[in-house]
Amino acid sequence: MIGVQNLTKTFNGKTVLDGIRFEVKEGEIFGFLGPNGAGKTTTMRIILGLLKPTSGNALVFGEDLGSCDKLRRRVGILLENDGLYEGLSAYGNLDYYSQLYGISDREEKIKNLLDFVGLSDRKDDKVGKFSKGMKRKLGLARAIIHDPEVLFLDEPSSGLDPEAQRMVRDLIFQLSKEKRTIFLNSHDLDEVQKVCSKIAILHGCTIKAYDKVENLRNTFSKPIFEITLIDTADVRIASDILHSLDYVSDCEEDGLRITVTLKEEKSSTILNELVNNGIKVEEAKRLAKSLEDVYLDIVKHSGGER
Amino acid sequence: MSMDEIFIVARKEMKGIVKTKSQMLMGISFAVWFSVMAAPVVKTVEESAVFDQFNNLLFYFVLMLGIFTAYLFSGKVFFNEKREGNIETLLCTPLSLRQIWSGKVVGVTIPAYLIALLTAALITIIANLFSTSMLLPSPAITLHIFLVVPAFIAVAVGLLGFGHFLLGMRENQILNISIFIVIFFALSFAKNVISGGYVVSWVAIGGLLIVAVLLLALISYLTRYLSKERIVTTIP
Repeated sequence: MIGVQNLTKTFNGKTVLDGIRFEVKEGEIFGFLGPNGAGKTTTMRIILGLLKPTSGNALVFGEDLGSCDKLRRRVGILLENDGLYEGLSAYGNLDYYSQLYGISDREEKIKNLLDFVGLSDRKDDKVGKFSKGMKRKLGLARAIIHDPEVLFLDEPSSGLDPEAQRMVRDLIFQLSKEKRTIFLNSHDLDEVQKVCSKIAILHGCTIKAYDKVENLRNTFSKPIFEITLIDTADVRIASDILHSLDYVSDCEEDGLRITVTLKEEKSSTILNELVNNGIKVEEAKRLAKSLEDVYLDIVKHSGGER
Repeated sequence: MSMDEIFIVARKEMKGIVKTKSQMLMGISFAVWFSVMAAPVVKTVEESAVFDQFNNLLFYFVLMLGIFTAYLFSGKVFFNEKREGNIETLLCTPLSLRQIWSGKVVGVTIPAYLIALLTAALITIIANLFSTSMLLPSPAITLHIFLVVPAFIAVAVGLLGFGHFLLGMRENQILNISIFIVIFFALSFAKNVISGGYVVSWVAIGGLLIVAVLLLALISYLTRYLSKERIVTTIP
């Protein structure tokens, strides 16, 4: 549905994107991650046809959105700017955009959308009086007024207070259930982790990682296990055994619990070693690494930006 | 290029201008001010020259006020759209850049032209108050008011819109100041021309109409050189 091939963009001789490539399939919620200034918005602008690539291409439905006006009816966008007119009411804004997209049953559609984003009681108020969170919600309603197949969201909850962030995130989550393809530009790892099925991490002008969230966690994070022992007398012995294993990189004791970081995937071997040495193990569980840990690992190891 | 989309944009811009009280008041105030200042001049000339003097007033001031109002309104429609960043969202709708530009040009031209018509009406009323004979616009001036003036307003709006979209914020501010100075001098020049006793002929009106149509065609052609990239990269 969205295909980016060898995309390069330079501004005044400075490379902003360098040969990036990824693909977003139909119905996928794709998270495009990266620190501020990494080139996420530039990538999105190229996909949307607002900027021309220096080389390579970015296609949606196999076409360049910039040169195919009609195709843009199938795409919804919410950029950092909500695209709302402060002098118009909430209803007026949605009415204007619904006319631009040629929607016939405008009144019904707008009413339903205002209900969806919880702004029905403010429909006649000028957007200039709205809080940032309300504007964002209305911006989201504006972005989906024409039932787009693909939705591009650029930092949808950026700059919002926690309550508004949660409201916007819930809306995105609801939209994701409607089997729309969503391209989410964000530096909010928590948001991406909760919503996205696949992600790409952009850093230093290139894609540093591109996979499903779970796969990335497994690929980029070292396995960490938490082992709970039954007998306190075993803790010291178990710790010595674990330290002696060459595939154990770290081992920390906390009461009956020992947290073990492995250099490689050897979860069954580690348990065998303990049990064979007479250690009574009550529980052993793998600790999930957050996307934030993975992200920071990638960014740290890939060096600075260009 | 579908006209429907153009009129959707035009309607929205017109409503926006009319509902912005400060802008409308400013436009109407200028129309009243210049009419009140200029029209009484008919009492200072000889009886035989009153009709020509009155038509000259209409010729210059209706055109100038129309262009000046277009300048006032264009800032909100083009400059603010870019400054506030909404243009980026608009460029992602199914409308082409030329449709957006055309819609905005129509949306500014109509209210600016209404102010120009108000100026014509005010000058006619005030001039008649100071004249012993009934003063009505000549056929040439009538054609000027109904064809040349709206065409030149559209030229001015089109050119300003083109400039606002093409240039960065600093260049746009310089452009705005420059245009204000040009209009100021043009209004002063108009006073000199009026007092010089020129007679506006059919040939002059016809010539101006041709110039306006050619300029409109030229600006419309120039919009091919506007690009979304240029607009997006000059958003502050």
